[in-house]
Amino acid sequence: MWSFILRRILWTVPIVTGVVLITFVLFAYVAPDPARLEAGKHATPQQLQKIRQQMGLDKPRWLNTQAAKAVPGLGPKLAAVTDSQFFDVLLWRLPDSQHYKEPLWSLLLRKAPASLAIAGPVFFVALGIQLVLALVAAYNRGRWPDYSITFMAVLGICVPGLSVIILAQWLVGFELGWFPVAGWGRGAQIVHFAVLPILVETLVSLGGGVRFYRTVMLEEIYTDYVRTARAKGVADRDVLLVHVLRNTMIPVITNTVASLPFLLLGSLLVETMFQIPGLGNLMVEAIGNRDRSIIMGMTYAIAVVYTLMLLVTDICYALVDPRIRLQ
Amino acid sequence: MSSVATIPMDPAPLGRPRSVWRDAAARLKRSRLAMACAVVVAVYLAVGLLGFTPWLSGLLSHSYADSYEPPRWSGSVGLWMGTDIEGRSVLWKVLYGTRVALTVGIIAALMSALLGATLGIIAGYFGGWIDNLVIWLFSTVSSIPWILLMIALAYALKDRELSLLGWTFRLVGVPTIVLALGLTSWVGLCRIVRGEVLKLRQRDYVTAARAVGLGSGQILWRHILPNTVHLIIIDFTLNLVAFVQAEVVLSFLGLGVTDQPSWGRMIDDAKLEMMRGVWWQMGAATVAIFLLSLALNMLGDALRDALDPRLRGVD
Repeated sequence: MWSFILRRILWTVPIVTGVVLITFVLFAYVAPDPARLEAGKHATPQQLQKIRQQMGLDKPRWLNTQAAKAVPGLGPKLAAVTDSQFFDVLLWRLPDSQHYKEPLWSLLLRKAPASLAIAGPVFFVALGIQLVLALVAAYNRGRWPDYSITFMAVLGICVPGLSVIILAQWLVGFELGWFPVAGWGRGAQIVHFAVLPILVETLVSLGGGVRFYRTVMLEEIYTDYVRTARAKGVADRDVLLVHVLRNTMIPVITNTVASLPFLLLGSLLVETMFQIPGLGNLMVEAIGNRDRSIIMGMTYAIAVVYTLMLLVTDICYALVDPRIRLQ
Repeated sequence: MSSVATIPMDPAPLGRPRSVWRDAAARLKRSRLAMACAVVVAVYLAVGLLGFTPWLSGLLSHSYADSYEPPRWSGSVGLWMGTDIEGRSVLWKVLYGTRVALTVGIIAALMSALLGATLGIIAGYFGGWIDNLVIWLFSTVSSIPWILLMIALAYALKDRELSLLGWTFRLVGVPTIVLALGLTSWVGLCRIVRGEVLKLRQRDYVTAARAVGLGSGQILWRHILPNTVHLIIIDFTLNLVAFVQAEVVLSFLGLGVTDQPSWGRMIDDAKLEMMRGVWWQMGAATVAIFLLSLALNMLGDALRDALDPRLRGVD
């Protein structure tokens, strides 16, 4: 048990390093030179050099061996050798956002609440609806409730999310005028602005989950213990809610955790279309502004949080289900 | 050896042997829904090929009327779905968009299938440090949320010049998206194929092949790969759907196709047009994406049932 948990925790080290490696290689070797973008076309070499220095791009990419040679002692040597572009990213010494002139951390913390205000309710409402619809469909397998729910789910998957957002914004916000078309407020005003984005995002995210959970539940409904429960006279409702729902929790949780990064990231599309000052909006803006720190930092931060969440889920599984520990 | 040769063989076996493929094809043909979906996909493919002819590109540059002419059924065919801001026909744009969507989807899906299957098979079959390396690779890639990695890649590759074997080409539009999608979405298939190969390599026929003296390459090619092809095909169809939809998101972010009309750009244009009552451009592109996704989705399901009958009891 403990060895499983320990091994699982240690495994995150190469994963996080790998994430930084991929992000770094992508931005250091493939992406356009950020200093040149910042300086503009007509910058002099001196100006370019100054910007490079500000961004930490004048350092060596991987290991700063030159600096390490210059200082004595193991500790300072180690500190000097890691004074490179790669370790700047790995140890989160990213330069301030070029556009906002603000440290990345405070920027992310400032933008996160708006994302959570949308994504939090969406997450719970969508999960609830998905589970209920999936249960109903699975229970009525092969009859009209199943067909209509599956059909609606497939429809939901096939319509592009952006079209739904644009349509809802136009219909509910513009034509009917029930909610503001876009925008964000302070305090209690937020509710007014948040309702439509939450509804739209829930609608868009419904389809995939319903189909997946239905399959999972169907696998469970045809197991022997369900048949036994039915045979001994347990009411259908109790069979579904007590036996089936509980035993499908593991795949459901896995799928839920897999969707969590989107909770953090917010929805890129919804946040941008409704002008919600959240993380998704920040990311879209950063792409437009070519703000390298934000794109890199957010990729890194969200990947790390996601890795940690996977770690916690795996450990929870091991606690709940002994079969997983033994694999 | 001689005893094997003396086993009496049926001189005339019952018709041709039933291969997995003939079986699957027969099952597919029995399903009317699957055949209807296949026809829809075939029509899309034909329209996509039409996009490569100078005829359609010629019609595309033709200016029909004023900007934002609403759809009307009388008169020129080009006006059936109205016009866009430049007075170009929305109908021809949608038809041309098929070419972009399918080119992006098919090449990216091929790329992701090739990467995922190769890595999965090699990891599952050889095990050891190769397996560990591949596990590390796909665990790492899958810990970056797909959409973020795709965006980062599309951002990094946009408008870059790439030199490969003496050829230099600029990554504008389609190649950028293809690379961004193909390089990020192989993980799922790799994981599934690896799991399957882990089971397959312990089968008796693989042991037998090894005992007879077949090399690893031949075992992989003739015994392991054919038994994972169904997974690859199913993954391919589902990826196609995902990629057609992803093109919309990338266009929205300004990382998509910029040098020719595409469905994503048409929907992206609509975010400013809808408030002016111009619905036909978004409507046309949405319906085009919707029908293709629906057909591919259902075809994918039918293919899975036909190729992997073990799963059929469930869904």
